[in-house]
Amino acid sequence: MDLYIQVLVSGLLLGGVYALISIGLNLIFGVVRIINFAHGEMVMLSMYLTFWLHHLYGMDPYLAAIVVLPVMFLFGVAFQRVVVQPILTTSATMKIFTTVGVSLLLQNLVLIFWKGDFRTVQTSYSMSAFEVFEIIVSIPRFVAFVAALLSIIILYAFLKFTFAGKALRAIVEDNAVARLMGVNVERHYLLAFGLGCAFSGLGGVLLMPFNAVYPTVGVTYTLLAFVVVVLGGLGSMSGTFLAGLFIGVVEAFGGTFVSPALKEAIYFGIFILVLLVRPQGLFGMGRGTEEVGLK
Amino acid sequence: MISFAKVDLALWGQDLNRDLGRVGCLGLRKLTNQEKGAFMRKTVWIVMLCVSLVLGFSAGAFAAKTLEIGALYPISGSLALLGEESWRGAEIARMQRNKAGGVAGMEVIFVQGDANTPATSRSEAERLIEQKGVKGILGTYSSSRCMVASEVAGRKGIPYFELGAIANDITTRGYKTMWRINPTAAHFSVAQVEFIIDWLAPKLGKKPSDIKVSVAHEDSDYGSSVAASFSELAKKKGLQVVSVEPYAANSSDLSSVIFRLRKAEPDIVVAVSYAQDAILLSRQAIELKLNVPFIGTGGGHSLQSFADALGKNAEGVLNVDFTQYEVNTAFTPGLTNFLGLYKETFKANPRSGHSLANYMGANVVFDILQKTGGSLDPKAVQKAAMAMDVKVGSTATGWGVKFDENGQNIRVTPQVTQWRDGKLVTVFPKGAAVMEPILIK
Repeated sequence: MDLYIQVLVSGLLLGGVYALISIGLNLIFGVVRIINFAHGEMVMLSMYLTFWLHHLYGMDPYLAAIVVLPVMFLFGVAFQRVVVQPILTTSATMKIFTTVGVSLLLQNLVLIFWKGDFRTVQTSYSMSAFEVFEIIVSIPRFVAFVAALLSIIILYAFLKFTFAGKALRAIVEDNAVARLMGVNVERHYLLAFGLGCAFSGLGGVLLMPFNAVYPTVGVTYTLLAFVVVVLGGLGSMSGTFLAGLFIGVVEAFGGTFVSPALKEAIYFGIFILVLLVRPQGLFGMGRGTEEVGLK
Repeated sequence: MISFAKVDLALWGQDLNRDLGRVGCLGLRKLTNQEKGAFMRKTVWIVMLCVSLVLGFSAGAFAAKTLEIGALYPISGSLALLGEESWRGAEIARMQRNKAGGVAGMEVIFVQGDANTPATSRSEAERLIEQKGVKGILGTYSSSRCMVASEVAGRKGIPYFELGAIANDITTRGYKTMWRINPTAAHFSVAQVEFIIDWLAPKLGKKPSDIKVSVAHEDSDYGSSVAASFSELAKKKGLQVVSVEPYAANSSDLSSVIFRLRKAEPDIVVAVSYAQDAILLSRQAIELKLNVPFIGTGGGHSLQSFADALGKNAEGVLNVDFTQYEVNTAFTPGLTNFLGLYKETFKANPRSGHSLANYMGANVVFDILQKTGGSLDPKAVQKAAMAMDVKVGSTATGWGVKFDENGQNIRVTPQVTQWRDGKLVTVFPKGAAVMEPILIK
């Protein structure tokens, strides 16, 4: 019995990290309707940024968020303006090619400048854990989980109560009508992309204390974030959070009780099933959102 | 090339004169931005032209006396770190050999290929052979990449020299042009099983038949092949293999592997990991309180970044691997020299023993080609390779050279090393060891 609870806890903690990485993608995906295959590379860049701040200036990885978040926000804005804006009206394949290209470019630039070494940060809490009723909870993973929860609440409040947030939601629901109502859609695209990247920045910061960073670390996260976003439903932040937890728990149970080698196969299987049965995702906003940007 | 260049140069020369003339006529007037731009562009062109001419000449001058060999390693992508580290070793051997007069009087040139993924490894092998016209290839570090690339070479009858990949079946597919200088997964297993029986069992006060072993391995060619050969041998020698846990090397969480290991309650875990998963596995083992000694199988456990990531927790982690640098140098003549060359060339310490193994291997390849007079003809290579007879303890890795009928070097033994104070120290077998192993759970 203990083992089941332990695996559940590990799964939930893992899911928190997955959710955190996926929120940014969902925002970009929902608002700008672009499949950003370079999303994992945004996480990778933020991890590197955190690493360098720690390595060169001795900054605590969590403290590095003060620098990483604004930098990633600006990076996102610039990315939207320079790369995405010009191709917004082109076909879906074009967008895929472009973002995949950017992802490869970033991976290889990083490889050239920072080499393929596996970089980690050493902190007092890197491998620490606390125990509740003999259930082990890893501290850095717990921090990431709580931060994911908090940031989703903040994002939810932002979308619900501010004007810019409402405009973003309007764009998610119906881009054309939002434009007719006087929303400056292009400017809100910039905001959405910036916020999306800032969230991947936060993901990168929180991953750094327990994960190594290397040029291709983002590849796994890109695919995973897609599964989470599609499962949770486009435009639904709480959906992303729950879907993240769900995938984490499925992965932990599948890995422990079936086989660690099959855990990815299991959640990709679920992904395909969801696409077949409920393409708008479990908490999706209904008709129209199942297109996942493929216009 | 050269005649073209002459004509072009003349044309540019005229343009340049005209520009200068114009400027001269206009006297003291400052150049407009447009004119400056045009001027700059032409200057750049001329500089580029000169550079290409020089390069053209230099290539021409040595053309008759070069020996081109394909060097196929993963130098980008997820295996870039050790792929590049491996290439560095071969590159040092090449530079050293060229300085000493080359192979059979010819300058050795590496035509570089990038075995980024198994798929690109195939296309790169084809490109090297078809387009670059190389008659032999060395590489590859990664077993899965070697499998596909050497198949391309094997079908075309082009000699393929493996210096780093350890999967058993690389040399058992019946290709007559396949040669491997480094130890195989089977050799690694022998070393691990010997170590467990000769050292760990007495240390724990148990009979070998009471020792329980778990295997955790990444699930590509490398991990699967090593894990399979270890399990088979361990069972044959009477050890209990209580669980085998495959996992994907790019996992971001390995807690499920740790839980399964905790459930199996082994005395020792044999891990077969690449870099990031080795780090993750050990970090999560500490977090989730799995108090069992680990013995790695080359790959990630031998990396400096592994020790850096774990800090003091790396102390006592065991690893079976190619020869490392903290070794009895009486056993490895040439190692100190190699280290010096490495630091001089790359301005850093080696990141793992992969460069050393590739240095030793490339030297063996050059020795074979020296005997064939620089020919890469498969028959000539076959004859020269089978005649190779180098004693154990006379190369930089301490390995000897003697090929079996499959093209596998049989005078190779991996060694057991242990992380001690941030250094990977050789602890077993006794001849190569510089320290006694310690047991830390």
